[in-house]
Amino acid sequence: GLAMKVDGRPSWDNPTQFLLACVSYAVGLGNVWRFPYLCQMHGGGGFLIPYLIMLVLEGVPLFYLELAVGQKMRLGSIGAWSAISPYLRGVGVASVVTSLYLCLYYNVIIAWALWYFFHSFQAVLPWAECPVGGNLTGVQEECEAGSPTQYFWYRETLNITSSIEEGGGWHRGQALCILLAWAVVYLCTIKGVASTGKVVYFTATFPYLVLIIYLIRGVTLHGAFNGIKYMFTPKMEQLANPMAWINAATQIFFSLGLGFGSLVAFASYNQPHNNFQRQAVVVSVINSGTSIFASVVTFSIYGFKATFNYERCLERTGMLLLNTFDMTKDTINIENLNHWMTELNRTYPERFSSLSVQLESCALESELDTAVEGTGLAFIVYSEAIKNMPISQLWSVLYFSMLLMLGVGSMLGNVTAITTPLRDSKFLSRHLSSEVLNGLVCLLCLLLSLGFTTRSGNYWLTVFNDYACTFSLLFIVLIEIISVCYIYGLKRFEEDIEDMIGHRPNWYWKIMWIVVGPLIIIGLFLFYISSYIMGGTPSYQAWDKDLGKSVAKKYPAYVQIFIVLLLLSSVSCVPLVALHTYYKSRMKRPKEEVNSCPLTSKEAS
Amino acid sequence: MFLHDFLHLPVRLHLTACYSLLSTRQGPQVALTPAAQARVFKYEGASGLPRGLRMSLNLVIVLCLTAVLGPTLVHTLCSGSTDANKVRLSIKTALGDEAYDWDESEMFLFKATIAFAMRKCNKKQYEVSNIQVCNATQRVSFWFVVTDPKTEDLVSGKDVEKAVRMSRNRINSAFLLTDKTLEFVNIPPTLAAPVKPATPPWLIVFGVVIGLVGAGIAAILISTFIQKKRERGGIKEREEDEEEEAGQRNGVFCTVQEGADSNINPGFIEDDPFTKL
Repeated sequence: GLAMKVDGRPSWDNPTQFLLACVSYAVGLGNVWRFPYLCQMHGGGGFLIPYLIMLVLEGVPLFYLELAVGQKMRLGSIGAWSAISPYLRGVGVASVVTSLYLCLYYNVIIAWALWYFFHSFQAVLPWAECPVGGNLTGVQEECEAGSPTQYFWYRETLNITSSIEEGGGWHRGQALCILLAWAVVYLCTIKGVASTGKVVYFTATFPYLVLIIYLIRGVTLHGAFNGIKYMFTPKMEQLANPMAWINAATQIFFSLGLGFGSLVAFASYNQPHNNFQRQAVVVSVINSGTSIFASVVTFSIYGFKATFNYERCLERTGMLLLNTFDMTKDTINIENLNHWMTELNRTYPERFSSLSVQLESCALESELDTAVEGTGLAFIVYSEAIKNMPISQLWSVLYFSMLLMLGVGSMLGNVTAITTPLRDSKFLSRHLSSEVLNGLVCLLCLLLSLGFTTRSGNYWLTVFNDYACTFSLLFIVLIEIISVCYIYGLKRFEEDIEDMIGHRPNWYWKIMWIVVGPLIIIGLFLFYISSYIMGGTPSYQAWDKDLGKSVAKKYPAYVQIFIVLLLLSSVSCVPLVALHTYYKSRMKRPKEEVNSCPLTSKEAS
Repeated sequence: MFLHDFLHLPVRLHLTACYSLLSTRQGPQVALTPAAQARVFKYEGASGLPRGLRMSLNLVIVLCLTAVLGPTLVHTLCSGSTDANKVRLSIKTALGDEAYDWDESEMFLFKATIAFAMRKCNKKQYEVSNIQVCNATQRVSFWFVVTDPKTEDLVSGKDVEKAVRMSRNRINSAFLLTDKTLEFVNIPPTLAAPVKPATPPWLIVFGVVIGLVGAGIAAILISTFIQKKRERGGIKEREEDEEEEAGQRNGVFCTVQEGADSNINPGFIEDDPFTKL
């Protein structure tokens, strides 16, 4: 690109690249697998009300703040927060540590998507049927107890053990997939912004293409309307439930990817006068819009799957009656099933009651009520729906490549959040070129991620997913917003913004930064702490292969200690580094510090 | 005659014999089986009836008993016995519009296929008459038993099962049905062994993708390396000048970072903070 590089820092070729990079980063797997679940849990269409309110109160202002800091300071998170105040360097370090944790486990999910993607290129999808058992008389018992899609996920993909304590060996297929996942991430970030800027054109737009195709396919499926009706029937009484509001706030917060340092890093490559205010609003709105769009698609798929299962259930019941009472094939079908059931109960009561053990009750509502989120939704529910569609291989390939794009797009942001501060450091950049530095980061992450490809890897991944980032991010963003408003000074911040985009932020932004944002975050913070303390021993879902379903188990002591260490390792960066800076400033002679605040051009001249 | 069920024949014969004997009260006109004869001689000295009458009465009793019990015996053998197997066909499910009707000839074919399966397994000369069917319903389901061609005893369920499993494919294809639509209740289906290709197909796709990614990485690294080597000559002379300039500007470290991928000399960058882009 021919962009002018101010002071030698690389930059985006044009503002569109930055916009697409932010969209690609913010629109991730959570939009597809967490938001529809929350919608379902909290009253369907009614959930949009707290969601949109939180977007306005908390999402957009915080997003704007991070972009402003990054674009102003033109440094990664460590440098930028050092510039705000040297004692706040720890905030940047905490962001980098949290990003590292996220990178480690998030790429494993991409590895799983790759695995499914590769397995879609077969005549019969491997999760469509149960594999034949050892003695060729029937199917595998574990598959019989559960379902083929569950079997493929738990046994073939993960080869999961029955609890987190049992380690098990490595899954070679998974190890290969994670190697590929990191190779792809490396390829996309190899030259920093120059490569990332080109990749985001694709990673930001391809998921929308697939979602549109799926929307058209989804709403034309038989039974899709049941799901959409279920979703959009608002249950307004849920609004009185505080959990709805807390989940809305949490979802907005995490969905936008605040606190990881990625937004600061992306914005640091901007031209100094880029209009980030408009971009902040646009990206936040696109992110929320995508969540809503994805949940329409998800619910039409839900409706299809639920209707399909319901009709199969009715058919099985009909077949059972036919076989027991030896009637001709066509007498019982789905429509007159109920009539026949009462009829047969009347005429042959004893035989009918002996059947009652085998008779399953078929209800559409209960099928729709099974609310699933996370990997369960993405890899089990969706693949079950896909296997029943005509030309299922095509739909499978499309769907998993969409998951890949969503995941890789978010990964780019997090890897950039780690590599940008490292590149900012004079020491590292003097000795290592950008390719080598990025390569080393990817290699280190790959080696650490291999731990998640063991047989108990999914359980450890759940630990990371639930604890590694959630609490720390709230803490980091709280410190960020307080430090910008009260330590750096809101007036100074306003002047910086005026320098960059030509006008000061209006009263809406200021009120959100000073009052509303911190209050909401403190509220979430307290909620997390109290639910952690009062929740008792944390537990997880373990797969029981004999029963063919998940059972709840408690985490053993060493895992709970590990969780605490995870939290402390990122959160404690802030006070520790502050102390370190204080100590160094006391001991140092009055010479320039290693990481001094860059002076603004005003101050320099 | 040949199309009638084997079972119905002896019932009529026996009943006609019973009736004719009861009405004529003459000596036996039918040859007695040794068992029947034995029974007649047993009862001979028991009562004060004249010998001829006693004999004919006994005969009538025996014959009527056989008439009634005979088919019932086979009937109980068929559905009550542990050696009987139930079969269930779902022709409409399998063939839809091309479904054929289940009639006597289809039943004959079924018996023939079972006889074939038994012959294959046991190497004895089973005939169609050795397969006895009963309790046929509209569902198209029925029970059947197999009798040994020589001894007329029932063949055990296990042997029947073994024979059916061995030739299951042939039996299924005779009726254009599958394991699911031609069910032998309690005989587990023989599923096809899973086909294991030499290389799992997913590995092939994986190999292609990782090859492409690897090639991309290598291409970028090599091109960067070549570019660096070319610039290394030119850049060396300007390095000392650049460092001095960087020191005078606003302290942001830059030049060394950019040695790798920049061919723009920072000294020539415009420095106007008010340019809108």
